[in-house]
Amino acid sequence: MVKAVRGVLVECEPAIKSILVHIDSTHHNEFIIEDLDETHLFVKETMLHLLKQKLEERLKETYRPEEPLEDSE
Amino acid sequence: MSTAQQSYQLSDYLEKLPGTTFRKLYQQPSTAFAIFRRMLPPLAKIFVQALLYMPAPLLLSELDVWVRAEGKMHRDPRLSILRSLHIIQITPPGKDRPQEMQLTTNFKNSLRLALEGGGTHNSFGVPSTLPVDPRIDIAHLDNYARKKWEDILHYVVNSVPVHGEAGGGGSAGGPKSSVKDLLLVGHLVERRHDTRGGVGITQAGFTFLLQEANAQVWTLLLQWLEAADRAKGKSDSIDMLSFLFMLASLELGRAYNTDALTETRRNMLPALVDFGLIYIPREDTRQYFPTRLATTLTSSASALRSVSSGFSAATANNPGDASSLGTTPDTSAASKGSIFIETNYRLYAYTSSPLQIAVLALFTQLSMRFPGMVTGRLTRDSIRRAIGFGITADQIISYLASHAHEQMARAAAAAGRPVLPPTVVDQIRLWQLENERMRTSAGFLFKDFDSAEEYVSLSGYAEEIGVLVWRNDRKRMFYASKFEQLRDYLKSRKKAE
Repeated sequence: MVKAVRGVLVECEPAIKSILVHIDSTHHNEFIIEDLDETHLFVKETMLHLLKQKLEERLKETYRPEEPLEDSE
Repeated sequence: MSTAQQSYQLSDYLEKLPGTTFRKLYQQPSTAFAIFRRMLPPLAKIFVQALLYMPAPLLLSELDVWVRAEGKMHRDPRLSILRSLHIIQITPPGKDRPQEMQLTTNFKNSLRLALEGGGTHNSFGVPSTLPVDPRIDIAHLDNYARKKWEDILHYVVNSVPVHGEAGGGGSAGGPKSSVKDLLLVGHLVERRHDTRGGVGITQAGFTFLLQEANAQVWTLLLQWLEAADRAKGKSDSIDMLSFLFMLASLELGRAYNTDALTETRRNMLPALVDFGLIYIPREDTRQYFPTRLATTLTSSASALRSVSSGFSAATANNPGDASSLGTTPDTSAASKGSIFIETNYRLYAYTSSPLQIAVLALFTQLSMRFPGMVTGRLTRDSIRRAIGFGITADQIISYLASHAHEQMARAAAAAGRPVLPPTVVDQIRLWQLENERMRTSAGFLFKDFDSAEEYVSLSGYAEEIGVLVWRNDRKRMFYASKFEQLRDYLKSRKKAE
């Protein structure tokens, strides 16, 4: 019997996806409903906000982009 | 994250209504006419017009003859809009009979009545026969509507916690408490203790501010309808919605009779006065006057004034000038542009309107304020903050483009360049991408199909009606943004078998 499951489709780069999968596996798999393919995940709607936060935290540890242009005041 | 922050629009509301509600709504010629005018894209209008006087249902295959081969991809989404608004019926695909389509009965009859006139439906309002106070002219109504609506916008803007200067309008007095409650219920503002008014703006509120006036009015009205749904049940809100459509068909500057209204509709009047959609003279409550906010409800959204052009029209303080609230909205909006943006991300805005400054402060790092001018810069942090509020890069870009100073537009046109410097536009988009490492959309995953055939047919149908977002044939799964029509399709398929 065909099923329709409510949720959120997340599209991202493979690198980001692997971080998301890692976050999920260290949090009792409470975020991801279905791993769709290299660039797509299917996620619980209620957990999306928290997942974004966790990703933000993870990226802050590793990544600091620079301001593209310095202004001469 | 792009889905959740788009504030609530009429089409979303209508989509959720069941077919019986539509049948009741379409009993009113004004409603059928308003839906036809406002909700349908041109191709869909052509279909409806062609079907309107057709005596018998049209074979779906004959429709293909009307549509050129290259237009095929536009045809199905239009049909799906018409179906979701319950304007057309298409017979389910069966083995023995070809598919036919026709207009739904109520819609057809009402639209014919609306076009031909006649009938005793009073659906387009009953003009008042009482003498009209000569002081109530179009300019008076415009001023009144503008004041009421800007009170509401000010209330939302003033709830931005960042800038003290945003609260310039102490004279406003603010909207009625019923309107404030509505803003709270609609989550455009929320209770907070760190701001002066005790409320703070939400993500939806920011999106609300950057919208055109017409979209703003609908956002608020729909909140109101939903609140009525919860309080009194569906039957009231149907009548309320058709009353709104009726208001949209009335003539600006004319007096209409309040006694001719049903009780539900009469009960709506005080709230509509608070929103500034209608005006009722204090001395004589037997008459009501629709304002421009009401009569433009169902005209095309792009023709209407935006926040700041409306505000500059108001601060121009020219009570005798009837055109200031947009009898000629295109010219007034174009001449009110005040923003310069340079390739080094600096921004200059010739404005002293607290409303526009507050809106700019949402995504700009403002540094200096002069009489009649503010300067600032777009920075990664300021854009990032705006995106954090739920504003999208495209909203910022379109706001800047539509409010660019005419000098910028002229220089760009002379050099054959776009109005905004491409570097800035690209950078705003890049900043957004940087913050949006994942693109998300809410919807439904279809899986566990019984057979390959079932999968192919349903996913094919999803693609046809334009809701298919992702599919994987090997796993036999697909993801669609909506499921109502797919469910109906499955049901009708089951029946056919």
